[in-house]
Amino acid sequence: MSNDELLTLYNYDEFIPKKFERWMKFDSSPSLGKPAPDFPLWHLDGSETSLSEAWSAHQLTVVEFGSFT
Amino acid sequence: MNAIADIYADQGVGSIFLYTHEAHPGENYPHLTSMEQKIKNAHDLRDILGVTRPILIDALNGVCHRTYGSMPNMTWIFNRAGVPIYKSDWSDAASVENALLYFLNVGERRKSREHLAPFHVERLDYRSQDREAFYRGLERSGQKAVDEFRKAFG
Repeated sequence: MSNDELLTLYNYDEFIPKKFERWMKFDSSPSLGKPAPDFPLWHLDGSETSLSEAWSAHQLTVVEFGSFT
Repeated sequence: MNAIADIYADQGVGSIFLYTHEAHPGENYPHLTSMEQKIKNAHDLRDILGVTRPILIDALNGVCHRTYGSMPNMTWIFNRAGVPIYKSDWSDAASVENALLYFLNVGERRKSREHLAPFHVERLDYRSQDREAFYRGLERSGQKAVDEFRKAFG
């Protein structure tokens, strides 16, 4: 899948099952108890950080995923 | 979730909101096509919906969100070593607080030199479901979002 195609499919334009269900793969998400994958993330001002920078700052870190909609 | 973040902030618990993609694109908040749009919507999440936790934004292709299972409103808890110790396919403050209390107590047990071994547990938690409030949220995105959700789930 090309990056353009991925961007279009992930950022779907309609909430219909064939467009959103393909991404819901919680059952195959990373396992508890094993080191988790790290990714770059961005602050609201556009500066870059990472998930690991967040989790390494505290004894425990709660991460809620979501959006405005 | 904001309140939970405030309550436990001085007990070594950090909280962030990770911005993903528009789950219910509508006339007011259409599907994302740029990082600038994504950052703008994340500002609205803070300024309009009142998320007080630090908001971090995933890449436009959602690589972090997709890797962690792509659920629209899931919650994970990580320890400082980057090991996930809780994951929930839906965010519920009571469930998260229950987990935090357990894990903070584990920290106390370690300090008292109790020998601990991890094990896996599965549990089905229960959240309040307020369909009217949910539809009010969809209306912020636009009538299109309302209509599509009704068509998908009734």
